[in-house]
Amino acid sequence: MNAIETHDLTRYYHSLCAVDHLSLSINNEIFGLLGPNGSGKTTTVLMLTTLLHPTEGTASVCGYDIAREGEKVRRQLSYVPQEMAVDIKMTGRENVLFFAHLYGIPRAKDKTDEVLAVMELTDRADDLIRTYSGGMLRRLELAQALVHDPAVLFLDEPTIGLDVAARKKIWEHIGALRKSGMTIFVTTHYMDEADLYCDRVGIISKGKVVALGQPSALKSELMTDIITAKVSGPVSIPTREGIFLVGQAADEITFTAENGREALPYLAQALSANGAIVHSLSLREPTLDDVFLHAVGNQDEPRNFDDHQFRTMLRRRK
Amino acid sequence: MSSIWYYMERDMIKWLRGRVAVISLLIMPAAWLIFVGLALPVTFTGNYLDFITPGILVMTMLASSMAGGTLLIFDKILGFLNKFLALPSPRESILFGKILFITIRGVIQSTIILVVATLIGATILSLAQYGMIYLILVLFGLVISGIATTVALYVEDHDSYAAFNTLITMPLFFTSSALMPYSVMPPWLRAIASVNPLSFAIDAIRSVESGMVPFIQVGILAILCVVVLAVCMQVFRKMTV
Repeated sequence: MNAIETHDLTRYYHSLCAVDHLSLSINNEIFGLLGPNGSGKTTTVLMLTTLLHPTEGTASVCGYDIAREGEKVRRQLSYVPQEMAVDIKMTGRENVLFFAHLYGIPRAKDKTDEVLAVMELTDRADDLIRTYSGGMLRRLELAQALVHDPAVLFLDEPTIGLDVAARKKIWEHIGALRKSGMTIFVTTHYMDEADLYCDRVGIISKGKVVALGQPSALKSELMTDIITAKVSGPVSIPTREGIFLVGQAADEITFTAENGREALPYLAQALSANGAIVHSLSLREPTLDDVFLHAVGNQDEPRNFDDHQFRTMLRRRK
Repeated sequence: MSSIWYYMERDMIKWLRGRVAVISLLIMPAAWLIFVGLALPVTFTGNYLDFITPGILVMTMLASSMAGGTLLIFDKILGFLNKFLALPSPRESILFGKILFITIRGVIQSTIILVVATLIGATILSLAQYGMIYLILVLFGLVISGIATTVALYVEDHDSYAAFNTLITMPLFFTSSALMPYSVMPPWLRAIASVNPLSFAIDAIRSVESGMVPFIQVGILAILCVVVLAVCMQVFRKMTV
């Protein structure tokens, strides 16, 4: 039995399809769901944590159906939403103890001390959390989530807005939890973090999974080199077999090429022959960013802004 | 059901630590009592303070219950509600925890009013009479806070809720029997006041003060309370699937 199993999971907000026939199997790993803003990441998490009903399809957490056995599902999981929802007028210990009580933990005080220690918050536990740093608040939320030893942990953008050191620390904690046997479902749009810390990633675009696998496997699937050119002046894109345009942003043009070393002089020549000035060319191995851009394509902002649809999306429930 | 208690405890801790909010909530009703109860030159009764106290008590319960709706709005906006809904404890206890806290807070304020009223000259009643007054206030508070939290579930932002609050509270108070008896009201106001739910609770407390036991009014309030809470629970379940 897999910890998380989804089958054709679909959610519509009126006519807008936020999640489109998603099928995933996740077990004892750190699974990263990556995708641009508005691609359906949070909607997926809301459905799996029983906060939103799927329009179509089924999903189970630890074998319990999310639509029919909501309470049993909620006994197995913890959910840390993207917004930092902790009570700033309470101390760290009070915040955790409150959740321990709500979960009905038998020895709530001891368990609270334990998770605070795991999250390295013991010496600040009795301070009001308005004095905590962003990283400490995130760890406090993790402590709240861990207080009932969940089998599955859902983290929505766990490192958003944190500095580099704080992010690293959060990921180290997540890694330790996975080693203890927990299944962790993370959404993020920090590709470098997903590359470093996730066992497997799924890239989602417009509600559909467009790439799925280990970060290293996804990168090697591209089997190409990445060339970035800095140019100015009139730019026309040269075409040649084996060279593909990935994206163009301001004065930066990105290509993939099967053989990067050979493509470099050709591109330099072709670009300047068309009247552009080439300032620099660089060649590198693919990263998860490139996998992402390749899978998702150049994202356009929604063209006709539909106010009603937008507000329904923001409301997310009902 | 213990989770209702913990949700209530959380709001209580947060409220008691916000000193300005506590002080303002305690001073406001006392100010009403002193400035309206002692200052207005009225001729229809010998002790206007005895007359106005039930009005202020019910008004305070109304205002503090209505203001309580914002607690749920902020929990919703700031992401707490989603966190709580993802917990295995019964979801309705979020709602009942709020209603319980709001009602307890109203009772605390009512106590302050009764103490201040007595200090500045209101008639001292028997224990049974105080008990009945509290019963009426609690039932009334449960009804209003149930409605307020349910409206808060539907409203999307704090401003809309504040507008709704003003729209309901002020007209309800001024068209009730809080400030003057029916006999001195102009006929149009008398018509409105006699169907105003606020007058209903105020009149019940006044009959307690005059030595009667308002079985019918308390009975109706109790039935209304059960109905409102049952409807609120259903709406909450429907809103949070």
